[in-house]
Amino acid sequence: MKKKGLRRIAVYLSRYSGAILVSVILSAVYVVLTLLLPLIAGDAIDIVDRYLHDPAYQGKGWENDLRFELVRFAACFAAAAVVQRIISLVNNSVTYRVLHDVRRDAFGHLQELDISYIDKHSAGDLVSRITSDADQFADGILMALQQLFTGAATIIGAFIFMMRANVYAALLVAVLTPVSMFIAKYIASHTYDMSLKQSQTRGEQTAFINEMITDQSVVRAFSHEKAQLEQFDRINDLLTERSVKAIFYSSLTNPTARFANNLIYAVIALAGAYFCTEAGGAVFTVGMLTAVLSYVTQYTKPFNEITGVFTELQGSAAAARRLFEVIDEEPQTPDADGVLGEVEGNIDLNDVSFSYDKSRKLLENVELHVKRGQRIAVVGPTGCGKTTLINLLMRFYDTDAGSITVDGTDIRDVTRDSLRDNIGMVLQDTWLRSGTIRDNIIMGKPDASDEEVIAAAKATHAHSFIKRLPNTYDTVIGEDGGSLSQGQKQLLCITRVMLSPPPILILDEATSSIDTRTEILINRAFNKLMQGRTSFIVAHRLSTIMNADVILVMRDGNIIEQGNHAELLRQNGFYAKLYHSQI
Amino acid sequence: MSKLTEFTKGYRHQCVLGPLFKLLEALFELFVPMVVADMIDSGIMRNDMGYIVKSALLMGVLSLAGLAFSVTAQYFAASASVNICARMRHALFEKIGTFSHVTLNEMGASTLITRLTSDMNQVQSGINIGLRLLLRSPFVVFGAIIMAFRIDPKSAMIFVYVTIALFVVVYAVILICIRLYRDVQVKLDRVTGLTRENLTGTRVLRAFRKEKDEQRSFDEANTALMKIQLFTGRISSVMNPVTFALINTATMFLIYFGGVRAESGVITTGALIALYNYMAQILVELVKLANLSINIAKSIACAKRINAVLDTDGAMREGDTKVIPDDDTAVEFDDVTFTYPGAADSAVTGITFRAGKGETVGIIGGTGSGKSSVVNLIPRFYDVTSGKIRIFGRDITDYSLDALRMAMGIVPQKAVLFSGTVRENILWGNSGASDEDIMRAAETAQAVDVINAKGGLDGVIEAKGANLSGGQRQRLTIARALVRRPRILILDDSASALDMATDARLRKALAELDFKPTVFIVSQRVASIMGADRIIVMDDGVISDMGSHEELLERCGLYREIYEMQTGGT
Repeated sequence: MKKKGLRRIAVYLSRYSGAILVSVILSAVYVVLTLLLPLIAGDAIDIVDRYLHDPAYQGKGWENDLRFELVRFAACFAAAAVVQRIISLVNNSVTYRVLHDVRRDAFGHLQELDISYIDKHSAGDLVSRITSDADQFADGILMALQQLFTGAATIIGAFIFMMRANVYAALLVAVLTPVSMFIAKYIASHTYDMSLKQSQTRGEQTAFINEMITDQSVVRAFSHEKAQLEQFDRINDLLTERSVKAIFYSSLTNPTARFANNLIYAVIALAGAYFCTEAGGAVFTVGMLTAVLSYVTQYTKPFNEITGVFTELQGSAAAARRLFEVIDEEPQTPDADGVLGEVEGNIDLNDVSFSYDKSRKLLENVELHVKRGQRIAVVGPTGCGKTTLINLLMRFYDTDAGSITVDGTDIRDVTRDSLRDNIGMVLQDTWLRSGTIRDNIIMGKPDASDEEVIAAAKATHAHSFIKRLPNTYDTVIGEDGGSLSQGQKQLLCITRVMLSPPPILILDEATSSIDTRTEILINRAFNKLMQGRTSFIVAHRLSTIMNADVILVMRDGNIIEQGNHAELLRQNGFYAKLYHSQI
Repeated sequence: MSKLTEFTKGYRHQCVLGPLFKLLEALFELFVPMVVADMIDSGIMRNDMGYIVKSALLMGVLSLAGLAFSVTAQYFAASASVNICARMRHALFEKIGTFSHVTLNEMGASTLITRLTSDMNQVQSGINIGLRLLLRSPFVVFGAIIMAFRIDPKSAMIFVYVTIALFVVVYAVILICIRLYRDVQVKLDRVTGLTRENLTGTRVLRAFRKEKDEQRSFDEANTALMKIQLFTGRISSVMNPVTFALINTATMFLIYFGGVRAESGVITTGALIALYNYMAQILVELVKLANLSINIAKSIACAKRINAVLDTDGAMREGDTKVIPDDDTAVEFDDVTFTYPGAADSAVTGITFRAGKGETVGIIGGTGSGKSSVVNLIPRFYDVTSGKIRIFGRDITDYSLDALRMAMGIVPQKAVLFSGTVRENILWGNSGASDEDIMRAAETAQAVDVINAKGGLDGVIEAKGANLSGGQRQRLTIARALVRRPRILILDDSASALDMATDARLRKALAELDFKPTVFIVSQRVASIMGADRIIVMDDGVISDMGSHEELLERCGLYREIYEMQTGGT
């Protein structure tokens, strides 16, 4: 998984390989320039020194020589600064573009995923992946881009300088220093596990925060503030513990690598000194030893930095894993090529079986044949599985066995979009987006004119409350409808469908919070609307049920009876009992 | 920001010791070259192998000490930064818990969530990096400047100038970046908000084939975020090259004037080399410091956002009466008018009524007529715009919110449950309730079969009660309110998803409750309220009429109309 995560990161980076190449090349240039600077400065100081100590040199325009060196110096650092600026721009650009791409893909993938995935995962955790984890991922990339290349270039640069000065010493140093890399690797693998745990707990906390903040009104209603804080603290403490561990571990690499290098330094000093003494045969001079030791210092520094980067990258890799889990999740079965045109509304469920949890049976061998324009009432005690039927008709879920056809076409043979185009749905759980009233109404018909919007709102009697809002149709409502009443929210959801009614309607307790007078008026509008349209109505109202062409009686997740009112009464089964208990 | 420093209490020693140990580590590293020099001078020159081995061992010991210091420093930095932020998160979450409905609506959930998560993370990493580096770099810089002064005060002035120039640059960039990073976080709020909205509205969005539009608006927000991040990066990355160029310019001047001063015999070449080395040292540290300051700017921007929430006085003024007295009148509204903040018109106007102890009050009326607004005023979710509300004889504002709300059982219109077990959810109503208490409440709420269907009280409920139907949720929320045995029970249209038979059984059971609460029932159904002692008929924010079922049938046209519509077989 870890390897796979790194490969996925590489894929995202590869889109900007040109920019990254520029960054690599410029890093090399930058390192060369920065290595040159002390040399030029040395030359300049030498000129001063020569002037002071070499009488022959005095009076020969030493100041001009010095100025010349300093101009070289200035040119060199100016170039380095410019190069550095370009590198940062490139790195920033790559990082934030990759971050943008990953976020876009993750969000885009959420649109493609099975609803079951979204049902099963907490919104807060998914939000955490797309925000916090993505940020941590980007931090790692930026750091890697900034330090990895310059680090590597510095190592190579230093190594070349060392080779030129003393080949044997260089080789000795080159063999010994990477020891620190092994230590770093060991720490890094632990860091990854700890960072992953940290990210997971962070996700848990965000899920909790999301849930509680969204419904603070209930928390207020029950004076649950203290209890929610206690629960928050439990997760917070766990996160604290895991974060301290993850951060502490990841910060260990640098000191440990430095320690390893210091030991190597001591060993080389010891060995070198030994060879300098008579006992060691005096094959080494003090000058050689000093040179070797200064190289060791110079050469190991970038190693320290790079090992540090590697460990910190583990945190990013862990965060990336959680992000890629979403992106790599199997999407819903791809759409077939077929397109369902405007349908008449004949719907058939042929031997349909379905359950969410494959170990617990739900709908079994359901046969239902609905003709265009028919009204189907779905009744049954609360919790009997009416939502399941909607899930299948809308193709939020696919059947386990059997088929659903619309006008004879299997709904799996056409695109989901073209199917849903033909179905208007009003759910009991109202959902409004933050935006204006108008934004919410025109969801089904974005190009609707003002007149059409008002006409639809008048039909559902939403117009009367909308026109009293501060900015009428342009009033902005907050997240989840703000201070609108439940009934008003329902009116808006109905208006949404009324604006451009498709051939098939699904009304799930669509008017449960609306007052009777308005409900009757809306029903009149609905009745007009339903003519020639196939409609599924989940309702309690007897009159609605009795007038339906087909009544589906559901219980414990399955359809147990179907037929019209008279037929079902004659059967004298569950429906008859339900009916008699209500009048 | 003063508020934020309070969170460091208890970790201040770590905040001081962390950087101090870091400093010690740096000092220990400086000893190593001295040991080597000594090894060469005393060991090699005298051919003393024993001395050489001792020196090498000393180096080992010094490295070990350095490691110990450094590890300790890293631990303190990690521990202090994480713990300080854990406290801050605690405080922020606690603070949000005090916010009134008005403040919560004004702020919006998304930004509060980003502040509790993303902003906190940034502050944490800022503190962590700060503790690791903040003391070390200035120490080295000032150390180097002092050393430079000892060599040649005149040349050393170059150090002073460049340091001042750098601080000006760093300060300016920080100031600009703080604003920019705040904008970044604001854009991130939007990304968070869109993601949340998309996840909660998946079904509707897919039903309306909005996936592509959603993707488009997310792309817009995401691209806006990227653009501001790129822009911020463009500004903040000025810091490094400028630092680099400034110090090297200073180096250039140093060599030139040093050369001139050497010519006049004021300083030696050795002194010039020493000055140059100090400048080189400063360069390394200041580049680190410049990077660090960007991190700090980010942290400050985020800390400011956190602080803004902590500074928000979003709580209602509470009274200090903690005991609610007994009185014959449970709830009394006296000419109450209420306008939602930002609304053009009042939601309810001139509401006056009295609910006796143990009475049942039904509230009926059209959609948007103000029924919910009236009952939302009873637990003081909102404060009245004018008029008075008295609960058990005393003004509602005299009570502490806790006392007031603990005396009430509220079943909100929107049946919300939380992830956890069935038991955990019902215990919200009364954390001390036994399983028998829960089952008794569930029996009244007609929720026993819901509990059974979920596999008992330990059955799992998903976030928002997603694995329950609307009716199942409603019955559990009723049980949650009842388990408290409240003195005032408020049912805000909370039987809308129940079928008629269940609704009837529920009403019967409520009437038989042994603790005889004062009950408010808001409903669209006459059947739900016709048994009430007093029925309030709301119309367009005012009380249209009030009385018993019979009285209203006789004299209230609106009521009669609703009644006839519902019973007349429409």
